[in-house]
Amino acid sequence: MHIPDAFIPLPQAAVYWIIALIFIALSLRWARKELSEEKIPLVAILAAGIFAIQAVNIPIPWGTSGHMMGAALAAIVLGSPFAAVFILTLVLIVQGVLFGDGGLTVMGANIINMGVIGGFVGYYSYRGFYPVFKSPYAPAFIAGWLSLFIAALACAVEMAIAGTFPLGLGLFSMGLYHAVIGIIEGGITASAIYLIATARPDIMADTEGVPA
Amino acid sequence: MMDKKTLLFAGIAIALIIAAMAPFIASSNPDGLESAFFGIFGAKDLQGSSLDEEMAGSAEEEVTGITGNEYSFDSPFPDYSIGGMSKFGEAAAVIIGTLLVLGIALGLSRIVARRG
Repeated sequence: MHIPDAFIPLPQAAVYWIIALIFIALSLRWARKELSEEKIPLVAILAAGIFAIQAVNIPIPWGTSGHMMGAALAAIVLGSPFAAVFILTLVLIVQGVLFGDGGLTVMGANIINMGVIGGFVGYYSYRGFYPVFKSPYAPAFIAGWLSLFIAALACAVEMAIAGTFPLGLGLFSMGLYHAVIGIIEGGITASAIYLIATARPDIMADTEGVPA
Repeated sequence: MMDKKTLLFAGIAIALIIAAMAPFIASSNPDGLESAFFGIFGAKDLQGSSLDEEMAGSAEEEVTGITGNEYSFDSPFPDYSIGGMSKFGEAAAVIIGTLLVLGIALGLSRIVARRG
């Protein structure tokens, strides 16, 4: 759901950039406070892995494809929605500047959708569902699915404000495609958490023990 | 339980394997946003699978007219391709990107964390 430059008028794109910059500043504050020597390699691996997996577009029905976003995964593993903002911002900058994936003027909107909304929805739905299931995997799947689905709906609203999509049809088509792509997001989020929890149970320990 | 170094290298290895495979396994179908865009601008049925290339081109012109955002930027590796090279070039591009993200994330995290 990388928005290209042509989809949003410049004044609106500037507003999204300003909002994004506020969250980027907060994510840097999170990094300064929370990033221990232990966690730095994990941040780097998650960033690199999310960049790589975002290049894998998986076909879905209706001549469409989708890839994982990774915000829920980053937020759950590192225990903060700001971790997703931090990591997704880095990924989006490299994608936009080097590979023309996602516009530069509209990058603020992409950071809001994938980093901020993806991260916050992913993190808080994981925490909300954890006590219900008392295991990380089902909540991780739900968090992944919801994070992508809500981010896609937000994108549709931005497209409607931009005049690019009509609101109803935009919400319907973005919702339809991303409800399916969300299954990929949820599945990979739960699987990656299984792998990390197996390799390093101590890393996951402080995020599993909701509420902090 | 893996130690820190093993975890780092295992993680990097997994990321690079995914990066190298990506161009060979990735679908070239439009993504969710593009598909919604082509559907709304009449280049594709919402639930159909064929894309009218001509209509797709004019849809892109039409949307620029609506938003007035004509900004364009020539990225060095557009669409994860390296000029003139096939899928192997794309794999190289994704690997370069993955290593770059890894390096920036490590470097920036170290700089930011030290300040605290």
